[in-house]
Amino acid sequence: MTLLAEIAIVVVAAVAVAVSVALVPSESRARRHRPPRPEPARPGQLVTLERLLVMARVSALQVHAYLRPILVEIASQRLAARGQALERMPEATGRRILGDDLWDIVRPGRPFPENRHGPGVAAPDLEAMLEVLERL
Amino acid sequence: MSGALSPRLRGLLALGGGALVAGLATGHAELAVLATPFLVFVGLGLALAREPHLTAHIDVERARLLEGEHVTATVTLVNDGAHAVEVEVGLAHSRYLALEPAEPIVLQLMSAATVAIEVSVRPERWGAHSLGPLAVRARAPIGAKTWDLHLGERTALRAFPREQRLRELVVPLRMQPFLGAHVGRARGAGIEFADTRPFQAGDVARQVNWRASARRGTLHVTERHPEQASDVVLLLDTFAEAREGARGTLDAAVRAAATLARAHLARRDRVGLVDFGGTLHWLEPAFGTAQLYRIIDALLSSEIAFSYAWRATESIPRRVLPPGALILAVTPLLDERSLRLVTDLRMRGCDLTVIEVSPLDHTTPGPAPADRLAFRLWRLQREALRARLQGLGIGVAVWADDETLGPALEGVNAFRRSARHALRV
Repeated sequence: MTLLAEIAIVVVAAVAVAVSVALVPSESRARRHRPPRPEPARPGQLVTLERLLVMARVSALQVHAYLRPILVEIASQRLAARGQALERMPEATGRRILGDDLWDIVRPGRPFPENRHGPGVAAPDLEAMLEVLERL
Repeated sequence: MSGALSPRLRGLLALGGGALVAGLATGHAELAVLATPFLVFVGLGLALAREPHLTAHIDVERARLLEGEHVTATVTLVNDGAHAVEVEVGLAHSRYLALEPAEPIVLQLMSAATVAIEVSVRPERWGAHSLGPLAVRARAPIGAKTWDLHLGERTALRAFPREQRLRELVVPLRMQPFLGAHVGRARGAGIEFADTRPFQAGDVARQVNWRASARRGTLHVTERHPEQASDVVLLLDTFAEAREGARGTLDAAVRAAATLARAHLARRDRVGLVDFGGTLHWLEPAFGTAQLYRIIDALLSSEIAFSYAWRATESIPRRVLPPGALILAVTPLLDERSLRLVTDLRMRGCDLTVIEVSPLDHTTPGPAPADRLAFRLWRLQREALRARLQGLGIGVAVWADDETLGPALEGVNAFRRSARHALRV
């Protein structure tokens, strides 16, 4: 009698397992047919600048070789719109208009840094430079 | 067509088989008893499984529409078999089609029954889209077997770009000797008054300006500016784009190009198209409505094709850029190659205007503070680039996607009229 009861319990448990497994929904194939959404495309120019600013914080070489030409082009264009030329600007005027930090980078004839592994431009300093350029 | 055992049936079979083998190996009858219901369930499922006989048809209300418009697709599913079948229906579609309902539909299809399902389809952007075939998963009773079917045909759906109405177009510097809608600088037969001059032998009496003649005492004739057409070549830059989600600079560039093509063709200009990117396509300038459809068809297949190929002005066939043509370069100014091309064309004396599709609207700064600085620097750099192009005598119209194109073109015309800038060429 006990054996029969055990067998009945095992059978009922197995049926319960089988039914519960059968009720689990399988993966939808149609859902897998949905096309993927387009990947966001970030402009290469922006990605390059993001990398440059990371490097420019730690390397004087990066500042002089890569960041300086960009800042010079921007400053020249914005000064030209005011009728001024960066390349012929006296130092006192340049420091007054652009501020000491920005002028030290964009001034004509800036020499190659003696210590190329020296520190670059800190983020707050760069932010201040951008504010100056945006105000021009 | 043979169906596949469903994953759950394979699991049950593994459980039952494992328990049976374990029972036989260990000599425990309990394990064999435990295996029995699983194996019975599997046998029952296989016995009840009947191959479905389904057919489907996809019918789209309209195959041509504007981007953003809704169209209804009716999916008709017929069960030709003798047994009811549970089906899960999903409609395959290309990337920029939004479907409503978006999720697959599950329904029970009785024997010899026909079901029609209406799906609302909306192209999120222009392009040559496709709808179908129908991805159907049919399930046997208790889910023992499944059949994955592709039913119905692939249906083409062409979504045309939305265009704007333009009051003012970029005025070409040089005209062609065809009758058009632009007032030419030369003197000839036309409507617009140019000047008066003394009568010469050969002048027709109709040109005599009697008021001027009476005031001056000698015969004077009226000179007029002729109405002429021009050649316009649209240069679409497909080297690179900025994209966020379903919106990108290429989408806006195609809208701008379609708008400009329609407006110039309406003014009886000859319009051509150069798709300048990883792959080079072109349409020679021509007149008329047929050319408009050719241009729009070409625009619909525009896509960013990644390429390292360095293309120069020589890549473009000469007949596509007729002498004296107005070139309208629609570009986000993101790729060095397109910048070089624009500069080179201007250096060769082409009458060139850049419609800059602003990528700023389709780009967000990165999360780091340094990324936000980079974004500001990029914006300043783009302004400097624009000033550099203007310094070469290239008019630059900056166009944001959500604004109208007209004011940007007015700014370009003002720039082109300015003698100060012309002297800087």
